[in-house]
This record gives sequence, structure tokens and C-alpha cells, in this order.
Amino acid sequence: MTSRIREAVRMFALYVLPPVVAFALVLAFWEFYIAWKDVHIIVMPAPSDVVERFFEDPEFFWREASWTLYEATLGLALGSIAAIALAAIMAHSRLVERTVFPLAIVIKVTPLVAIAPVLVIVLGFGTTPKILVAALLSFFPMLVNALSGFRDVNPGALEFMHSLRASTWQVFTKLRLPSAQPYLFAALRITYPLALIGAVVAEWFTGDRGLGVVIYVANANLDTPTLFASIAVLACLGVIINIALSLLEQRVLFWHETVRTTR
Amino acid sequence: MVARGAPSGMMSHGHPPERTCTPAAYIVERPRSHRNQGMAVIQSHVSLNRLSHVFTDGRVPLRVLQHLTFDVPRGKFLSILGPSGCGKSTLLRAIGGLLMPSEGAVTVSGAQPRESQARREIGFVFQDPSLLPWRSVISNVRLPIEIAGRAALPVVDPETVLEMVGLSDFRNYYPHQLSGGMQQRVALARAIVFDPSLLLMDEPFGALDEITRSAMRYELLRIWQSQAPTEERRTVVFVTHSVAEAVALSDRVIVLSRQPGRIVADVDIELPRPRSEEVEQSRPFLDYANHLRQVLRSAA
Repeated sequence: MTSRIREAVRMFALYVLPPVVAFALVLAFWEFYIAWKDVHIIVMPAPSDVVERFFEDPEFFWREASWTLYEATLGLALGSIAAIALAAIMAHSRLVERTVFPLAIVIKVTPLVAIAPVLVIVLGFGTTPKILVAALLSFFPMLVNALSGFRDVNPGALEFMHSLRASTWQVFTKLRLPSAQPYLFAALRITYPLALIGAVVAEWFTGDRGLGVVIYVANANLDTPTLFASIAVLACLGVIINIALSLLEQRVLFWHETVRTTR
Repeated sequence: MVARGAPSGMMSHGHPPERTCTPAAYIVERPRSHRNQGMAVIQSHVSLNRLSHVFTDGRVPLRVLQHLTFDVPRGKFLSILGPSGCGKSTLLRAIGGLLMPSEGAVTVSGAQPRESQARREIGFVFQDPSLLPWRSVISNVRLPIEIAGRAALPVVDPETVLEMVGLSDFRNYYPHQLSGGMQQRVALARAIVFDPSLLLMDEPFGALDEITRSAMRYELLRIWQSQAPTEERRTVVFVTHSVAEAVALSDRVIVLSRQPGRIVADVDIELPRPRSEEVEQSRPFLDYANHLRQVLRSAA
């Protein structure tokens, strides 16, 4: 039992303590610098001001954050499903791949900030354009990863499936889709933060709720504590999402080398 | 020990035994093309007639197999021995219906390989066990049944098959928790869960270490020989580049030349069965092995 406690302490000291210390140092330096140079709060708030602002009305931040999270998650889900479905078709047909891939690249290289106003004009001021922007941003990385994943199957397993006369659908559900799981998780780690960015940027343009709106309004009012508190909440969301994805990945991909070797 | 002198019973093709370099009197080679010599072909399970294959997808057409003609009778263990790159795997894939040969014909039980495949009469084991890593052992063995759906009737209980290969205790393990030899045994179980009458094995022990490899040899023989009446045994076509493996396992060894693979020798191995590890110390075994090594050398 004592050895388990010692092990826990060791893990904490090795993995949790260093980043926490680094983070605390940055905040301490920031706080100290503001006090030392007497920086005005309109230019830059001290961390203590930001924390104070947050705890004045945490429910407000939570409510706005959940809107943004909702739009981002829904957009991510739509974008991912579309990307995975398209990748599945592309994995089976080079013709479709050649036809559709250039379009996907156009979507990818067009700056989102340029698309968002158009979407607002077309789709109105509701949540739809935000969801769509999040979906568009998460689409391409998922498409590329899913396509690689569906193609990267064990050739022996594929040959065995063929020797069993498995249908294309069976090969897809029993071999390609599970094989692609590591790729899909890798994509999610990129696309979830992207979807958050998409939702926030879309909120800047229109809308009456969400952290993007809060940031926009706070910026216009020179309300830096609210501005920074919103940013901090967004950062926390990102961290939580990342941890949640890691935990999920460890459960789902227990068989995969990347998970096995990091344990 | 084996009876000395050529047992003429095996030489029923009506041809005098052809002998090359006669290392020992009991090593007899079959005449090369003994097909359509008035022999009843009903007995033969796998039948090749002037089979050739050329890969045309590369920049230069690659001829890998050249006019192969032979029959494998039902219930026999045949090894295809040859240097790497001689087209052994291509040959096996043609027999298994995974590849259409460019010339010539293959039949399995008198039908196209694809038809036999559809009737689940062919089991495949590859060099790479290629199990699905996200499925447990038992679930890997069940895979063929899942794929066949309700269409397939004669299914051996997966648990029984697992017991046959000695892995019952590992039913819930995942492939990454097993050694290479155990993984290959799962692959074997998965291949025979439909009780196929023809088992095609492509260097199944090629990736294993020497000790595991020779143990697996006799494990495979034990499983194969456990099917009681000899006539009801599975026909096995076993591709290897190991001479010892070919001699220890087979009733007959066909040696292919370097690319394009042609038949350079066709030798009956008349070692008594059941065979165990000791057979490898016996005089006839060593003679067969030496003879085949010589043939291989001259073929390469």
C-alpha cells in the first residue's frame, strides 16, 4: 500500500508538478510585472483581476461557454460525419477521390474569416452559421485522416477477408473502420479545437450569445478582465476536451501500439 | 523406419520413376507431367493444368510461374518448396481463388477456385497471422462465421477449434498479448473454423524463431493427423522455403525453380506417420533433405 502511495507521489512529481510550476511562474511574473510597472487595467489586467471577474459571475461564463461548446460540438459532429462518409467513398473509388479532393482543398485553403460573413448573409443570425463554420473547419483534417485510415489496413487481414468472400460493406465495417480508429482520434485532437475556433469566430460576426460575443463586446467596451476571463475559459475548455479525448482514446484504442507504449 | 527400395505403390502413373542424382534408392521423383495419362482424375482435389502467371502491373511484365501442371489427391499434404521470389505465394493465391492466373487452369474439387471459396471449402493461413488486433482470440476465430452469416451451415464450434490448437485458456486475450507462435495458432484456428477440406498455408511459420518454428511443425501435424480416417484428412498445400519443414510435414514436395517458377522436382516423402520430432534425426529424413537441398541449389 505504501509503495502505491509512493508511486502516486512519484507520478505526481514527474508529470503534474512540472507544468503546474511553470504555469504558476508565468502567472506570478505577470502579476508582479503589472504591479511593478503599474500597467493600466485597460491595457492589461492582472491575473488577480481576471480571477476576480470570473468569480463575480461564474454562471454567466458557464452559460456563454456552453453555447459555444454546443455549436462547436454539433459542428464537429456534422463535419466529421460528412468527412468520414466522403472518405469511405473515396477510399473505394479513385475517381471520386480525384473529383472531390480538389474541392475539399479549396474549402481548406479559403480563410474562414472570409467565408463567415457570407454564411451569415445566407443563413441568418441564428446558430446555424456558427455550426456550419465549425463543421467546415473540422471537415478537411478529418477527411484526410479518415482516408489514410481506411486505406491503411493490414494487407494479410484484407486478403483473408477476400478469401472469406466478405462483401465490401463487411470489409469496411469489420476491417477498415476499426483500423482507422487511431487516425480518427488523431484527427479529433486537431479538429475539436478548430471547431471551437470556428464557433468563436462566427460569433464575432453576429449573434447574441456565446463566448465569441462576450469577447467581442468586452473588447469594444475595453472591459479587459471579462475579455481575459473569457479567453481563460476557452483555454480551460480546450484542456478539458484534450483530457477527455485522451481518456476515451485509451479505452477505445487499448489494442493499438501508441496507447500500449505510453502506459 | 521406411521400407527401403522404391515402393512402387506410389508410382501409379504408369511411368518408370525418374531419378536424379540418386542419393538413396527410396527417393523417387515423379515424372514431371503425369496428367491425362489415363489416370482417374476424380481423386485429385487440386488440379493445375499448364498454369502460368505474368504480373503486368509493373513497368516490365514479370513472369512468375511457368507451365505448372500437377494434381494433389484428396487428403494429402503437399509442400511447395522454392527460393524466395519464385512465385510460391502467387501459386497459392491462384489455388485459393485470390488471383486469376494469366494462362492455364486451376480447379479445386473439379470447380473454379472461386466457387470452392464460396462454398467455404478453402482455408487460408498467411505468414503474417494478420489477426484483428481489436478483437479477442475467440472473436477472431468467430470472424469467418460472422462474415458468412447464416448462409454457412457446417461450422465447427469456435471453442472446439480453439481447444484443438491448445488456446482455450487464452480465449479472451488480445493478439498483442500473445507470442508469435500463439498468434499463428489463432490464425490456424480461424482458418479451420469452417472445416475446409483444403488448407492453404503460405509460409505460416516463416516469421517465427527456430525453436517455436519446429514445435509448430509438429503441432500442425498433430492437428492434421487427428482427423481419424486418413481419407477424410484435409488436403494441405504448404508453401515454404525450409527444406526441413517440407520433408517433416509432407507426403510430397514440389520444388520450384527461381523466377519464373517451373517444377524442377516432384518427390514423394515416404516417412512413416504419425511423425514426431525424432523423425528429423532419421537417416531417410536426412537423405530426403540432402536431396532436396541439392535440387534447390541447382535450381537457383
